[in-house]
Amino acid sequence: MKIYSVAEVTGYLRELLETDSLLADLWISGEVSNLSESAAGHLYFTLKDEASQLRCVLFRRGRLALPLESGVAVVAHGRISIYEVAGTLQFYVDLVQPEGIGILHLEFERLKAKLEEEGLFDVARKRGLPPFPRRIGVVTSPTGAVFSDIANIISRRYPLVELVLSLTPVQGDGASEGIVQAFEALNETEGIDLVILARGGGSLEELWAFNEERVARAIFSSKAPVISGVGHDTDFTIADFVADLRAPTPSAAAELAVPHRSELESRIQSHRRSLVATLLAEISQRRSGVDYTVSRLKSLSPDVDRYRQHIEELTKLASMRLGSFLAINREKVRSQQMQLSALSPIATLSRGYAQVQHSTTREIVSRIAQVQRGDAIAVRVSDGQFKGKVTGLRKGLQAWMSNFPSKKR
Amino acid sequence: MDEQLSFEEALNRLEKIVQTLEAGGLTLEEALSLFEEGMHLAKICSERLDTAELKISQLQTAFEEAIENKGESPC
Repeated sequence: MKIYSVAEVTGYLRELLETDSLLADLWISGEVSNLSESAAGHLYFTLKDEASQLRCVLFRRGRLALPLESGVAVVAHGRISIYEVAGTLQFYVDLVQPEGIGILHLEFERLKAKLEEEGLFDVARKRGLPPFPRRIGVVTSPTGAVFSDIANIISRRYPLVELVLSLTPVQGDGASEGIVQAFEALNETEGIDLVILARGGGSLEELWAFNEERVARAIFSSKAPVISGVGHDTDFTIADFVADLRAPTPSAAAELAVPHRSELESRIQSHRRSLVATLLAEISQRRSGVDYTVSRLKSLSPDVDRYRQHIEELTKLASMRLGSFLAINREKVRSQQMQLSALSPIATLSRGYAQVQHSTTREIVSRIAQVQRGDAIAVRVSDGQFKGKVTGLRKGLQAWMSNFPSKKR
Repeated sequence: MDEQLSFEEALNRLEKIVQTLEAGGLTLEEALSLFEEGMHLAKICSERLDTAELKISQLQTAFEEAIENKGESPC
């Protein structure tokens, strides 16, 4: 025997309680009482029925599906442990639902909330489907028409595919384990680029495997993107929320998995038309390019004519300018010639004046003192000369003026 | 031209050729050779669709072994 400390006993109890799988994950129904809230926002309350009561704590208010108040009948999910400080047994609640909901619904809502919080349903992590899958894994049961429906649809729509069947029971004990193994087998298979998880319609109980956590995690960790097609359009399973794409039925999953050959054929046909159209356009573009070049060449010839005409005009203008330049200068030359001739002695002589030269001294006689009576002189007139002799002298301008009898007064 | 192209590869190449042709800026020789390749790819795509047959294989899972051993369906 041994004497234990209080802490040793409460610690031992805690270990016992927390290793019990039932107490680690259970639903308890009861009425809420003694509700209080701590400063930190934790809710403390008691769940009770006619016979007994249980202390409860809810750390996260976010999990509340209804406003909690004393007197309300609820079903709470959580784990049982011991609060060692006070030595009290406590129910650590993580989810509270109103009373009156079936256990499967409760479990569904609980797992949905939990996985949603973990991010398994995040839209951001949904993977795109391959546009042209080559090897499609199919996780379904060997019984029923589901697989042959899928095979028929895919064969009709897009037969360029290999379906890789990974069989599993889809309801009852072992269904969730089988689905997990079927996914594992596909993960180990080369080249699977898409997985269809399918099951025909059934009751909530029959579809239950698709609401189990390990199936959800198997879908989440599938290497290839997953399309779920479980039950009918109105059935929503946890598997649908985790899958990369939810199809309302197995047949719809098959349709969403592959393109339709008639769409592809019309796509190919439209590509053919585009090829022809663009090539024709290329050719006609070049033809009009050639046409344009030719027309440009043609349009260049009149240009040459225009330049030629321009050159002619310029030449004409130049010769005109040159002509008037010459005329002007000719005129100048003429007037200068006239000026020149006005200054020449010949012109003076022709007006009746004469040049007298002393025959001995050869001086041009311009003053009376240059000559003596009897001197020989040469007289030059406009058209010749003659010789003479000085016969008389008279000094003074008066004597010269008297030689012009007509002007005599 | 590669006859071993998958349908997807052939279709992708075909779409790329159509885009390249539509973008223009090619020599006539380039355009002609792309046109020929594109028409050939379109033919390959159509033939692949016409002649393909769905293949089905089955993985060996624990469940399937159980069926074979017991000779009965657990469902």
